[in-house]
Amino acid sequence: MSLKAKDQQSFSYLYDNYAGALYSIVLQVVPDKDLASDVLQEAFVNIWRKIESYDPTRGRLFTWMLNVTRNLAIDMVRSKAYQNNQKNQGMPENDFFEKAGNSLQLSVDNIGLRKVVNKLKTEHRVLIDLAYFKGYTHEEIAEIERLPLGTVKTRIRSALIQLRDYLK
Amino acid sequence: MNIQEYISSGIVESYVLGLASNEERQEFDQLYSIHAELRQAKQAFEKNLEQQALDGAVPPPAVLKQKLWNNLGLDSVGALPVDKPAGGKLAVLTPVRSFNFAKMLAAASVILLVASTLLNFYFYSQYKSSAAKLDELIASNQQYANNSNLMQAKLLQYEKSFDLIKDSNMAVIAMKGQPVSPQSFTTVYWNRQTKDVYLLVNALPKAAAGKQYQLWAIVDGKPVSAGLLGADANEGLVKMSNIAKAQAFAITLENLGGSKTPTVPIYVIGQI
Repeated sequence: MSLKAKDQQSFSYLYDNYAGALYSIVLQVVPDKDLASDVLQEAFVNIWRKIESYDPTRGRLFTWMLNVTRNLAIDMVRSKAYQNNQKNQGMPENDFFEKAGNSLQLSVDNIGLRKVVNKLKTEHRVLIDLAYFKGYTHEEIAEIERLPLGTVKTRIRSALIQLRDYLK
Repeated sequence: MNIQEYISSGIVESYVLGLASNEERQEFDQLYSIHAELRQAKQAFEKNLEQQALDGAVPPPAVLKQKLWNNLGLDSVGALPVDKPAGGKLAVLTPVRSFNFAKMLAAASVILLVASTLLNFYFYSQYKSSAAKLDELIASNQQYANNSNLMQAKLLQYEKSFDLIKDSNMAVIAMKGQPVSPQSFTTVYWNRQTKDVYLLVNALPKAAAGKQYQLWAIVDGKPVSAGLLGADANEGLVKMSNIAKAQAFAITLENLGGSKTPTVPIYVIGQI
């Protein structure tokens, strides 16, 4: 595969084709455009440097890039610097799940995967938001939502099945 | 386990989106290598996920790609961002222009080289013919100089002869050819004051080999040698020996080196 040879032209092609799709994913996690740009750049740096670790037999290249990008975005949101910044702006830490379906995030509500997620029932959407866009484990979500772990798992699975159907 | 039930449980989506737990992932990996249906289901979801993301793409800031390329130290030429027409245009145009410029430079230098070579040949042949002409001129100039020297020497000689002849003290003795050589004729110029004797050979037969003419002064009836005549002594006045007193001059043909007394016959003779 030419990308594994670190062919610059292939990388350029990759960027041109997927930067927008990945940027929309980042924006769903990090709404701030400047920070999101930083995350996207970091994501492509990682893609360029870690392309060797991508195994084509394990899945699509986009899926791999998506997970690299999403993980970086979540790391950013979870970083102390980001959390402090959010506090300084007077946004309480525990406020986010209340705003999950809130119009405050309108700018990214209608793009990409978020658009599909928004079709879900609120109880499902909140959990997907926490799990996928905020990167919380099922256990953490159970704690945050004060729900039994089993219920969290069942609801997330149910939400994912609906997502699959919406994506078709 | 019923694989269809497993697939429809949402595990595929959970796995692909990175939401599955470690135990779930391990189980999935095992079943994935066994069941083609599971692989197909995963591939289908990944494809849909990608399509959804592409459909919802948000163009990142235009400068981001260049920043990224700089950050990675990549060659920006040939990796032009599609969404940066201005930068792309510049980066494309610059090498094209420099290529043309280099081509023009190369063409110009070839033309200059050819022109310069031709000029070199032209100037070299010019130089060669000029040098040849210069040599000719130097040679002919030398010839003129030689001729001029010769003429000047002759002129000096004639002037000197003329000065001697026009001297009022100079006696002119014409010596007439005798029976042995009636066509012969010579003249002696004798300065009565200085007693210098000059001989002008007007006409004398060429001396035979081993012979030379000798001038005699006849003093009181006796011959006194007045000197020998060289082989080249047929131009202008030739200085002979001083003679204090004489009544006549005569020339005989003697052996080389001259004689003490003249041998007959007398070629020319003239009375004072």
